Amino acid sequence: MESLIRFFSSLRLTVVLLSFSMLLIFFGTLDQVQYGIWHTQKLYFESFLAIWAYPAQAPAYDQLYWLRIPMPGGYLLGGLLFLNLIAAHITRFKLAWKKSGIFLVHFGLILLLVSELMTDLLSVESQMPVDEGGRSNYSQSYRSNELVFIDRSHPDHDTIHSIPSQLLQAGKVVKVPDSPLSIRTINYYPNAEIGRDPSGKIDSPATQGAAVKMGIFANPKPVVYAENTINTATAYIQVISPDGPLGTWLVSNVIDDRFPPQFVRTDDQAWEIALRFTRNYYPFEIELIDFKHDKYPGTEIPFNYSSEVMAHHNDPTKNQKALIYMNHPLRYEGLTFYQASFANQDRTSIFQVVRNPGWILPYVSVLLMGLGMCVQFGIHFVKFLSKQRAS
Amino acid sequence: MVGCDQAEPTSYQIPKETRQNEAPVTPAATAPQPTPTAPSNMQILPGMQEAANQAGEIAYSVPAGWTESPASGIRKANMQVVDENGSAELTVTTFPGDVGGTLANINRWRGQLGLAPTTAAELNSQLESYVISEHGGQYTRIIGNTDSILGAILPMHGSTWFFKLQGTSATVIANEPAMKQFLDSVQLQDDAH
Repeated sequence: MESLIRFFSSLRLTVVLLSFSMLLIFFGTLDQVQYGIWHTQKLYFESFLAIWAYPAQAPAYDQLYWLRIPMPGGYLLGGLLFLNLIAAHITRFKLAWKKSGIFLVHFGLILLLVSELMTDLLSVESQMPVDEGGRSNYSQSYRSNELVFIDRSHPDHDTIHSIPSQLLQAGKVVKVPDSPLSIRTINYYPNAEIGRDPSGKIDSPATQGAAVKMGIFANPKPVVYAENTINTATAYIQVISPDGPLGTWLVSNVIDDRFPPQFVRTDDQAWEIALRFTRNYYPFEIELIDFKHDKYPGTEIPFNYSSEVMAHHNDPTKNQKALIYMNHPLRYEGLTFYQASFANQDRTSIFQVVRNPGWILPYVSVLLMGLGMCVQFGIHFVKFLSKQRAS
Repeated sequence: MVGCDQAEPTSYQIPKETRQNEAPVTPAATAPQPTPTAPSNMQILPGMQEAANQAGEIAYSVPAGWTESPASGIRKANMQVVDENGSAELTVTTFPGDVGGTLANINRWRGQLGLAPTTAAELNSQLESYVISEHGGQYTRIIGNTDSILGAILPMHGSTWFFKLQGTSATVIANEPAMKQFLDSVQLQDDAH
């Protein structure tokens, strides 16, 4: 037991862990070229073990294709560093005024590790495109999909029955919540190519909707990770009413609002069926009043993107006007809106919408560490001064 | 904390939505007819026509459901496809040189769709390599707001060939397999080897 505590509290462990962190960052950065930042984060930093493979684009790949380097992942390193810090405090440090600065620095560091874990587990990112003069009350996550049944029969509101795509597993039956329907997934492809065969000769499980009318079929494709790429999630879904199966529909996130809606009908009700990027609806609307894309005169080099927005809340006392630009996000109702991109010849602004309950923790931890350093150096300085005076 | 990753079916109400594609569409009636061939708004500069005439001959097979119009002007081939969502037109052109480079050409196409230009850094993620007539070219898919382009660019012995399918997004996307089938069938006259 004692040797275990000695191991976990040793400074050597700290040095080894920090070296491994540097390696992890190095190889993670290399792999960002082929996987993009989002997937690299998952592979290297939100994992216990990461394995780097020799990239196919690198020289001498034919000789080195077998090369694999395993290394501890971010969760393992972060967790061990956390234990290391705590153990060192318990065994070595004594609570004394002259050490108070070091305590603050270490506490700030612990808080930073905790906040990073919280961000990984709790934060949700999505995007909200808004046209100039238009409004939006939802954001979309381009990395997850949902199967929705939309009931538009009520005059005042629409009802959305949503099934996350993780539940679309071939052969599985899932009940559509608060409706008489259930679905059986015939096939789910995380990425696919949508093709068309007007002659209808290609065998397709679909018996209803656009697939039959237009001769559309799906070919599975490998999932892509690079930035600015989107996976075309596609599924064949059999819809079952209490009276028996209604048919099989082809749904895909490329068959979106540009296409006529697909409908599932029973004798007395109709639902629109679609597979789409997962939406988060909010109790407010963001209106884009003006988007500015300023360039240096005579060049195409941008020096400013900014969006003037108005948030219209269901509760009008919460209405708010804001200007969103680089490093100046709008924080509103627990969400942060960043200027992310634009489209449509500068008439559409795209916001990154982030819900991160722990967003304040890194600021607090950096403040604590800064304060700790000031205190520690201050104590040394005062001691030095009084020694000078004594001599 | 463990529970938040677990996906659950849910149902909820939202304020009434206006859908872009609300009214029942009668596609045949609304489908825009393909624009007539040639005199396009493209400016034909001195030398272009000669270069087009000098460029080698092209052979290909017409995908099922597409209709062919005679080659005209600087266009080496010309086809149309119409379906219930709209129409699209395939044009094949060739020009001397690299016509400003891939980035400029992709941005020219993006401009035709009303999209903002892309950057050199983003360009590679939008291209895939594609072999046409045994020469290495590039293939791109540009999805616009209403119209889209499937395009291929093939540099060959000092000239550049452009294969472009442009039209209503739904029609263009649905015809991607046919477009690739067409590109695979293309044989260009090759005197350089």
